[in-house]
Amino acid sequence: MFEKKKITSFDQKCSLEIFIKNSDKYKELEDDSRSNKNLITMGSRYSYVAASFKEKSLSINIENFNRILFFDKEKKIITVEAGIKIFELLNFTLKYNLWIPQIPGHPFISIGGAVASNVHGKSCAFYGTIKNSIENIKLFHKYHGWLNLNSGENKNIFDLTIGGLGLTGTIISVTFKLQELNSLNFLTTVKCVKSISQTIDFLESSDDKNLIYSWNTIDSASDINSFGKGLIFENKIDHKNNLEFCGKIKCINKKIIFPINLWNNVTIKSFNCLFYAYHKYVKKSLYKDSFSNIVFPFYNKEIYFSLFGHKGFMESQILISKEKIHEFLEELKKNIDYYKPTITIFSLKKMSGEQKYLRFEDNKICLTFDMVRNKKNTHFLNALYKLYIKYNVIPSVIKDSNLDRETFNKCYKEADIFREKLKKFDPKRIYRSELSDRLNI
Amino acid sequence: MKYLILGATSGLGRELAYSLAKKNYNLVIISRDERDLKAIKEDLEIQYKISVQYFELNLSSFERIQDFFNTNPNIINEIDGILMPVGMTIEKDEIANNIENTNAIIQANLGSIIYFVSKFLPIFIEKNKGTIVGFGSISGMIGREKNVVYASAKRALESFFESLAISTFSTKINTQFYIVGYLDTNSSYGKKILLPKGSVKKLANIVYNNFNKDYKKIYYPYWWMYINILLKIIPFYFLKIIYRLTNKIINEE
Repeated sequence: MFEKKKITSFDQKCSLEIFIKNSDKYKELEDDSRSNKNLITMGSRYSYVAASFKEKSLSINIENFNRILFFDKEKKIITVEAGIKIFELLNFTLKYNLWIPQIPGHPFISIGGAVASNVHGKSCAFYGTIKNSIENIKLFHKYHGWLNLNSGENKNIFDLTIGGLGLTGTIISVTFKLQELNSLNFLTTVKCVKSISQTIDFLESSDDKNLIYSWNTIDSASDINSFGKGLIFENKIDHKNNLEFCGKIKCINKKIIFPINLWNNVTIKSFNCLFYAYHKYVKKSLYKDSFSNIVFPFYNKEIYFSLFGHKGFMESQILISKEKIHEFLEELKKNIDYYKPTITIFSLKKMSGEQKYLRFEDNKICLTFDMVRNKKNTHFLNALYKLYIKYNVIPSVIKDSNLDRETFNKCYKEADIFREKLKKFDPKRIYRSELSDRLNI
Repeated sequence: MKYLILGATSGLGRELAYSLAKKNYNLVIISRDERDLKAIKEDLEIQYKISVQYFELNLSSFERIQDFFNTNPNIINEIDGILMPVGMTIEKDEIANNIENTNAIIQANLGSIIYFVSKFLPIFIEKNKGTIVGFGSISGMIGREKNVVYASAKRALESFFESLAISTFSTKINTQFYIVGYLDTNSSYGKKILLPKGSVKKLANIVYNNFNKDYKKIYYPYWWMYINILLKIIPFYFLKIIYRLTNKIINEE
């Protein structure tokens, strides 16, 4: 029995009527997959875009496949079903001072979704993306059946599946190589910066082992040297206060949307001033911070998203090379001065890795900004897409519902290779989402 | 303590398994698909450090159940309680069923449970302790067009548990019977239901809290008890009217 439901993407852009099936048995999952022409797998629906559903199509929800199948403390190996949520996995591994360092910003994201999106966390400058922790994937495909994927077995499909947006089939379980985490306490250093350029200089000179990210305000500064003053947060593991993991990361799923958008120039400016002043004058520049605060920056701060109202928000997350970023910023500033977009958050961090297929990873600077969803900001974003192509930027496909096929094709050099290999593996292209249709993948 | 759970891989059975594992009970779990059983076993053993044995068994086949007891004769002596949240339905279970389907439904929902009880009860009586928990269904409250044999089996099961309670009245054997309405499990997923679904977690806790208490027949969610009373006191010739009114509520199960 399938449930007909209207589902809205996290950024509120896409609202579609779909069919959902909540399977909890392997046989059921096989039967449902085999009896439908097109389908896609659904995790926790925390992807900003419609990556886990498509109009009038079946989404197989795997949240009941949330079990731990294997754990070896000595070898630091764990196998979990794909429906397990990040916080559930951490609640178990942290008891043994182990974790995967590539933790996305919200605790409710499912492991299957994290793998299909090749997520990264704040530690991406050193640890890269979740791909680096994956040892094995078990996949179910309507026609190919059960497949074991790793660097030795079905390597091609393994490569296509990590960051493959769930288009190769349903990820059933994932084996991770865990890393040691000797302390759950962090020391956070906050540094004020006068501009984005200064932020980049700091990122370049800092120790990649620490978790470093910035928060910059986007205002109408007179020149590029004072464009984007803000704060840099550096989270360092506090080895001196090595407290044992006690209790659990307790998470409550809350999704409330305000009826109207409350983010505008006045509220954004006021918030930015207060936030900046609080960190500059009130809060110490060095303070102790908790694990959940550090790894889940948006948890318990969901109100930030709620305040965008029913129309939602737009986010663009891009990777740009260190050589081109200054030139790009000059043009970005010109566009900001021209379009005057309502930008709520602007942030930078460093990323490491090698870009392949649809994966959002490279040895580049990662720049993220959120905007109110309206016409003016959409025009601004469309103008930026031209800059993305010009500067060989990689835009994240799971963050931006507006991203069009042309920009995607030009920015992702291996998009056609991915399409070709996927078509070879699955000539009927069974697994589809609104996202894959929009980008013609 | 070691408990046996039939149908432990989904819905209420799965919830009961986790509920008991959290209380450090060792488990024997039985279900149709080994893959689901293995996944639950691994998870329970890794997370709760208990011991879990599993057996793949199709409860609609009497021969297989017999084989199970023949090949595992010691299991009867090791178990402190049996929980049987079993429910097998087929798509076309109507008045004119074929005999294979009818037998399979009766065997899975009634025959298998009676057989399990018949195997464990003598040992429980000998030990003068043990827990036997059965689960009926609101579908057995009144005649219906769909799930006809299933509903009949569930009504018969209710009668069987009443007899079991009377038979074990003077012992310390804990017998419980639950008449279960719609729960927030996969079996009610996607169904348009007029009344709210009951929490499967809450029911699992109720079952645990009633261990070692006197016989109870409990409707869950509780409002089904009042609906049942109404259905019993209204004369039969009003059945057509009642049927029209309750058709949507009951017939969709």
